[in-house]
Amino acid sequence: MSPGSGRPSSLSRRSFLTGSAALVALGVAGCASASAGSGGGTTLRFYEQKQEVIAYFDELLRRFEKERPGIAVVHDSTVAIAPQFVRNEPADVGCFNDNLELARYIKRGVLGDLSDLPSAQAVRTDIGELTDQYATYPGRTSVLPYSLAAAGVIYNKKIFAEHELPVPETWTQFVDVCEELTRAGITPVYATDRDTWTLWQGLFDYSVGSLVAPGEFFRRLKELGTDVGPDSEVSFEKDFALPMERAKTISSYFNKDHAVRAYADGNLAFGKGEAAMYLQGPWALSQIALVDPDLEIGTFALPVSENPEERQARVNIDLGLWIPTASAHQEEARELVEFLMRPDIINAYNSDNLAYSTLKDAPPQQDERLAGLQDYVDRAAFYQGAGTFVPTSIPLGNYLQSAIRSGNFEGMLRQLDADWRRLAGREATV
Amino acid sequence: MTDTTMYQSSTTAGRPTTARRTGRRATGRRVEPLYYVFLVPTLLIFTAFVIVPALIGIFYSLTDYVGFGDWSFLGLRNYAALFSDPRILESYGFTLGFALVTVVVAQVIALALAVALTRRIRFATTLRTVFVIPMVVSGIVVAYVFNFLFSNSLPAIATAVGFGPLEESILGNPDLAWLSIVIVSAWQTIPGALLVYTAGLTSIPSDLYEASALDGATPWRQFRSITVPLIAGFILINTILGVKGYLGVYDVIVGLTGGGPGTATSSVAMTIFGGFTGGDYAYQMANATVFLIVTALISVAQIIATRGRAVQL
Repeated sequence: MSPGSGRPSSLSRRSFLTGSAALVALGVAGCASASAGSGGGTTLRFYEQKQEVIAYFDELLRRFEKERPGIAVVHDSTVAIAPQFVRNEPADVGCFNDNLELARYIKRGVLGDLSDLPSAQAVRTDIGELTDQYATYPGRTSVLPYSLAAAGVIYNKKIFAEHELPVPETWTQFVDVCEELTRAGITPVYATDRDTWTLWQGLFDYSVGSLVAPGEFFRRLKELGTDVGPDSEVSFEKDFALPMERAKTISSYFNKDHAVRAYADGNLAFGKGEAAMYLQGPWALSQIALVDPDLEIGTFALPVSENPEERQARVNIDLGLWIPTASAHQEEARELVEFLMRPDIINAYNSDNLAYSTLKDAPPQQDERLAGLQDYVDRAAFYQGAGTFVPTSIPLGNYLQSAIRSGNFEGMLRQLDADWRRLAGREATV
Repeated sequence: MTDTTMYQSSTTAGRPTTARRTGRRATGRRVEPLYYVFLVPTLLIFTAFVIVPALIGIFYSLTDYVGFGDWSFLGLRNYAALFSDPRILESYGFTLGFALVTVVVAQVIALALAVALTRRIRFATTLRTVFVIPMVVSGIVVAYVFNFLFSNSLPAIATAVGFGPLEESILGNPDLAWLSIVIVSAWQTIPGALLVYTAGLTSIPSDLYEASALDGATPWRQFRSITVPLIAGFILINTILGVKGYLGVYDVIVGLTGGGPGTATSSVAMTIFGGFTGGDYAYQMANATVFLIVTALISVAQIIATRGRAVQL
C-alpha cells in the first residue's frame, strides 16, 4: 500500500509532465537533426494505441513513407491520450476509439475540421452521424470514422445444434432457449461481473439498444440537465424500466459463480464450451480462438421485443481519425489521413481485423463468426451502446454488479437519474 | 526509530525524532553546517515535487479545468457539489471505517507476534524472516494472489467440507467484501509493524521483568505495566503510519474487488483517481484537497491524544 496514494496523483502527474516535457524536447531535437540529415523532410507523429493492431499500422506507415518520400512518420502508442493534450503537443494524426473520452476533445474544439477532405465524402453518412452522438463542434467534422465494430450475442453453434435450438428472433424465443439449456444442465449465458465493463457493454447495452435509441435518449437527457427526474420527459427510471426488466431476466440465466469471474475467465470458459452464449464483442473472438481455434461460433443480435424487425446490433467506432488544430504539419497530416482512407487500405484493415469499413460500398466482412451481424450493419440497424454515453464518473458497471445481486434494478435507475442531475449541475456530462 | 524508513514515509515519520533532536540541539547553540548540506536538497525536491504540485492542484480545484484547454473560475462550487455527493461521502465512510478496523487488527497481531518472537523460542530468527516476506511483495501482486484464494480456493474448500456461508466467494458479497480488504491489508502491513515492535521490545532491559517476577507479577501484569508503557512511542508511530497508509488504500482494492460489489469497497483514493480518466479533474482535485485536510487532522489528533503517554527510562 503506497502511503497517501490520494494526493500524490497530482504529484506524479506534474512530475510526469516535467519529465515527459524534457523527453519530448529531446525527442524533437533528435527528430529535427535526423530529418535534417536525410534532406529536410517532415516528421509526423501518428498516435494509435490499440494493442492488437500496432504492428499492422506500423506496416501501413512504412508503406506511406515509401509512397510519399520526404515525410517520415513516428508511431506513438502511449496508452493514455490526455498527456499529449495537457502538454499542448498532440500527435499530428490521431487514430483512437471514438467514445466519450474523445468527445471531450471534440467539444473543446482542439480537433480540426476534416469535412473538406475528399475521403470525408466517401464515408457512409449513417456511420458519420454516429460520431456526432457524443459531441460536436459547430461547423466541423472533427473525426473521420475508420473502423466500425459490431457486437451481439456470441453463441456456441455445437451446443445449439446438439439441442436443436433455433437462433432466437424474439424475446420469448430467447427465454425458451435459456430454459431449454437450463433443463439440459448447460449454463445459458456466461457472465463475468468482476470486470464491470463487461456488464454494461453486454447486459446493459444489449438490453437497452433495441428498445430505446441511446443517441436520441441521451441527447434529450443532456437538454434536460438538472431537471432529470421521475416526472421529466425522459429519465432512466422511466425509459429504461422495460430494458432493465429484460436484463434482470437474462441475469437469472448466468453461470452460478458470475459474481467472481473476470473477462479472461469468461473467454476460457466459453472457449472450453462451458456455456452456450456470451454477451461479448468481436474483441473476445481472438481470445476464445486461443483456447479452441476450431470452436464453431456464431453471433446474433439480442432480441428484446416480440417483433424480430426491431432487433438491432450494438456498434462502436473502434477507430476514428483526427488531426489536432495544434499540429504544425496540417498538409502532411491530411496526406496521411487520405492515404489511410484509401479504399484498398481501409477495407483491407477492417476485413483483416474483424471489423467493418466505414466507406460507402465497402465489401462485407467475410468472417463466419460475424456473419450474423452483416445485415444489421448494411441496413444501419444499429446503435451505440447506452453505457458508452454514461461518463465514467458514474460507476455504471458497479451499479449493475449490485443490481444483479439484489435484483433491484429500479433502485439503480433512480440512482442513475440522481447522479446525472449532479453531473449536469457541474456541467460534467461530457 | 530508524525502522520507520521502511515505510518509505516522509513527514509524519520524521516528526517525533526531529522534535526530540531539536530539543537536544537547542542547548548546543551552534549548528553543524553539514546538516544544511543534507537538508537543502531534500527540501528543494520536496517543495518542487510535493508542495508546488499540491498547491497547483488546490488551485485547479477552484476551477472547471479538465487537464487541457480553457478553464474558468468556479469558486467553491466543486466543494459544494462534493459534500452533497452521496458516493463521495460513502467512500469517506468506507475508508475511515476500514482504516480504523485494520489498524486495530494489524497492531494487535503485530504486537502479539513481536512479543512471541522476542521470547527465547526455537527458530525465532527464521520465523522473523518468514514473517517479513509479505512486506517485500508488491501490494497488487498480493491482492491478485488473494483474489484467487478468495474466489476459487476458499469456496472450493467450503463446498468440500459443507460450510455453507463461505461456499460463495466473499468478494462477491457487498456485506463481507470489505473483510477481504482488511485481511489482505493487515497481512501485508503486519511485518513492518512487527519489526518496529521487535526493536521496541529489545530495548526494554530484562532486569525489569526479573524484578517484577520476584514481586510476583503475572506475565499479563508485566505486559500491561512494563511492556506497553515502555513501547508506547512505538505503538504511536505504528498507529499513525498505519492509519495514514490505510487511508490511502488503493492497490489492494483494485486487485481484490475493483471497488465492488457495487460501490461497497470504493475508497477515497479510488474515486480521486477515477477523476483523471473520467475528465473530472477539478472536481476530484477538490476531493483530494479535502482528503489531505482530513488525513492531516487525523494524524495531528493521534499525536495529541497520545502525547505524554510514553514512559522514558
